[in-house]
Amino acid sequence: MTFILESGYAFWNPLIWIIVFIVIMIVVYFFRRRGQKGYKKDTDQTQIFLCGEEVPEAGERHIRVGNIYWGFFETLKEYYEQILRPHTGIINDYILWFVAITAISVIVLLVAGLG
Amino acid sequence: MSLKAFKRALWVYHLNTGSCNGCDIEILAVLTPRYDAERFGIKLVGSPRHADVLLVTGPVVRQMVTRVERIYQQTPDPKLVMVVGNCGAEGDVFHESYNLAGPIDQIIPVDVYVPGCPPRPEAIIHGVAMAWVKLEKLAKQEVV
Repeated sequence: MTFILESGYAFWNPLIWIIVFIVIMIVVYFFRRRGQKGYKKDTDQTQIFLCGEEVPEAGERHIRVGNIYWGFFETLKEYYEQILRPHTGIINDYILWFVAITAISVIVLLVAGLG
Repeated sequence: MSLKAFKRALWVYHLNTGSCNGCDIEILAVLTPRYDAERFGIKLVGSPRHADVLLVTGPVVRQMVTRVERIYQQTPDPKLVMVVGNCGAEGDVFHESYNLAGPIDQIIPVDVYVPGCPPRPEAIIHGVAMAWVKLEKLAKQEVV
């Protein structure tokens, strides 16, 4: 039993991947063993260095992915402010919008049909 | 000076607590080709977490107190604190100023003082060598 899956152009063998994984783990362990052992656990020594500033919680110190859209939001800020106003999150408001838009559409269609 | 316990290069983190930059310029001079402290394995690093020695300048303004304490705590053991300049050692012309919390030894323990306003590069190198000897003793204690 060879476990080899051949496609004609390449092959897949889980045994090779396991061996590669084990070799990588050994190399990682080797470098990790050579690291600084002086750090004391559960002290500031294991905290991130932020120029002496207090280290915020993990959720607070990461730059959120939304930041890459900063330029768009800044440019379209006024548009978003207008758009956000009707988005109240209240279902009654949305139904009111739906009824109002439907009523306007019906009136437009009726007027257009009569014309 | 024989170094047996502390066998690696000495990494130094430079912390300015409100210095006029006079001492900092002399520290930079230590790294220039004329003095070239790196030939002894003395190197400035960008994080106290990598450092063996905290090299502190300035008289410690109030805003720096918590930062100094935190940076000291973030430095792994064995560690040493070295003060460069009169301001850090005893306040110098800023002595007993209302906006100072220093000198440095009132906030964190200091092992080596290098006096001067500013001290000459030779004095700073001598101070680092003294720190290295003390660090060697500390490292030996940890090994034992």
